[in-house]
Amino acid sequence: MITLNRACTRARAHRQVTTRRWLSQSRLDRLAEPVQFYISTSRDPYLNLSIEHYLLQNSAPESTILFLYVNRPSIIIGRNQNPWLEVNLALLNPVSNDTPETEPPGPGIVDLVRRRSGGGTVFHDEGNVNWTVICPPKEFTRDKHAEMVVRALRSCGIERSRVNERHDIVLDQGTRGADTELEDTHVTPYTRQAAGVRPLKVSGSAYKLTRQRALHHGTCLLASPNLHIIPDYLHSPAKPYITARGVESVSSPVGNIMLANERYIDAIRVKFAEMYPATNPIEHVEVGEDWLDLDPVRQGYEELKSRDWTFVQTPQFTISTKAEPSINLDMELTVRNGALSGGTLCRRNGEKILDLSEQLQGQRVQDVDSWSVTVSNMFEGIATAEARTLAAWLDTMLPVYGRHNSK
Amino acid sequence: MNTKVPAAMLARSFTSWEKKYTQDHEWIELSSDGKTGTIGISTYAATALGDVVYVELPQIDTELGAGDALGAVESVKSASDILTPVSGKVVKVNEVLEETPATINKSPEGDGWIAQIEIADEGDMNGLMSASEYKDFTEKAEGD
Repeated sequence: MITLNRACTRARAHRQVTTRRWLSQSRLDRLAEPVQFYISTSRDPYLNLSIEHYLLQNSAPESTILFLYVNRPSIIIGRNQNPWLEVNLALLNPVSNDTPETEPPGPGIVDLVRRRSGGGTVFHDEGNVNWTVICPPKEFTRDKHAEMVVRALRSCGIERSRVNERHDIVLDQGTRGADTELEDTHVTPYTRQAAGVRPLKVSGSAYKLTRQRALHHGTCLLASPNLHIIPDYLHSPAKPYITARGVESVSSPVGNIMLANERYIDAIRVKFAEMYPATNPIEHVEVGEDWLDLDPVRQGYEELKSRDWTFVQTPQFTISTKAEPSINLDMELTVRNGALSGGTLCRRNGEKILDLSEQLQGQRVQDVDSWSVTVSNMFEGIATAEARTLAAWLDTMLPVYGRHNSK
Repeated sequence: MNTKVPAAMLARSFTSWEKKYTQDHEWIELSSDGKTGTIGISTYAATALGDVVYVELPQIDTELGAGDALGAVESVKSASDILTPVSGKVVKVNEVLEETPATINKSPEGDGWIAQIEIADEGDMNGLMSASEYKDFTEKAEGD
């Protein structure tokens, strides 16, 4: 839990007696300051990402911003990724699916969120503190602020931390060798000794570059209670059967840094202030649900929550039973803009049986309530037993997700 | 970049196939009748972006204002907006990029074109840079 320092509590009491109009005005003034620091009190990933996007679009072009936020358990896929390929969707809602209890207990309901930046899939929970830096494009490099975070970690004694060649932050494993240059954030005293032992990833980076601004955000695994099951969530049963355009995740073993949220936040605050000295010492400003007052934040929030953004935004892919030996048919489906755009059913010897029916062209995968019914309509005249086999397979590969309780 | 000029083109006026560039590193090349413009990103931009792994193309018939996002590319975990220098309607997109996004890196100013726009206001072309002006502009940016 991000705790409030005393200055922040004073500020909050003051805000309680002010009008909404004064809040908006001071918020706008603040967006023009050369150095800004925000911390979110919300755990809602859709809200936090919408506030972040608002800061990107509305902060003064020459300003530099640090934004820290923690999300409730959620899986965050990149802008151009495929949720069916990257995520075990069946695990996400234990209420509507019969998922066995794990030992220790799992994270409960996990949100699925597509972010606006590029890159791969990550898992967020209360043991992960996300950091964002927004700056002018001419000041931007992909490593600059990851290096800042490593300096912050090293100031807390995490000397195994370094930036790797993918602009992520890792902890070198293995034994300690000779000292290395402290200022070199790309090597540690453990790096050379670690031949053959993979480092543990503790932070993944992603970016969004607009005409006027550059955004770099990353995770930071401080003390996640869910490390043991993250691999299950990020492993989709459909992976062997899907060929996708877009971006696939690069899988890495992960680990916890084992640092308290507050210590980490203070260390980042210090390193950020060293890079960007402000005329006054940098106090953070709280952001949260009250920012939904701002129309662009609310609109962005609704868009991120929408099933269209989550599913229809998926780049084109095909899914095929060819690699499934237990099914005696070759079914191939093409999904474009999240909807069935083509498909064939063939015997294993290549002889075609049926094409996807015209009626089902444009059927959104996210809207399928039952594959049993849908498969019979996809391939008119298909034998009952074959339809049943394919429907059962599709139930596993493209599971019905969230149809009970979302728009 | 292909510098050979087909004989048929020599008869046309010089300006019909000279590329113009923006400060955001896009180029636009007008059709011979001046009604549509083909848009892409410059070699300088493609190099700066790194290996393009995905291109988000606009929908046909989308209407855009000058400076609006025409699409986006992803490279090295970065989602980058591509802007249109001119206002108008999207009439064609380069579907090759859907299958082979790396075409943008191989030939950013040729085969890697992104979209064609039916220009709404010819005035939008004013203030764009010629190839040599753009070269000076990028050299100055490097020097800063």
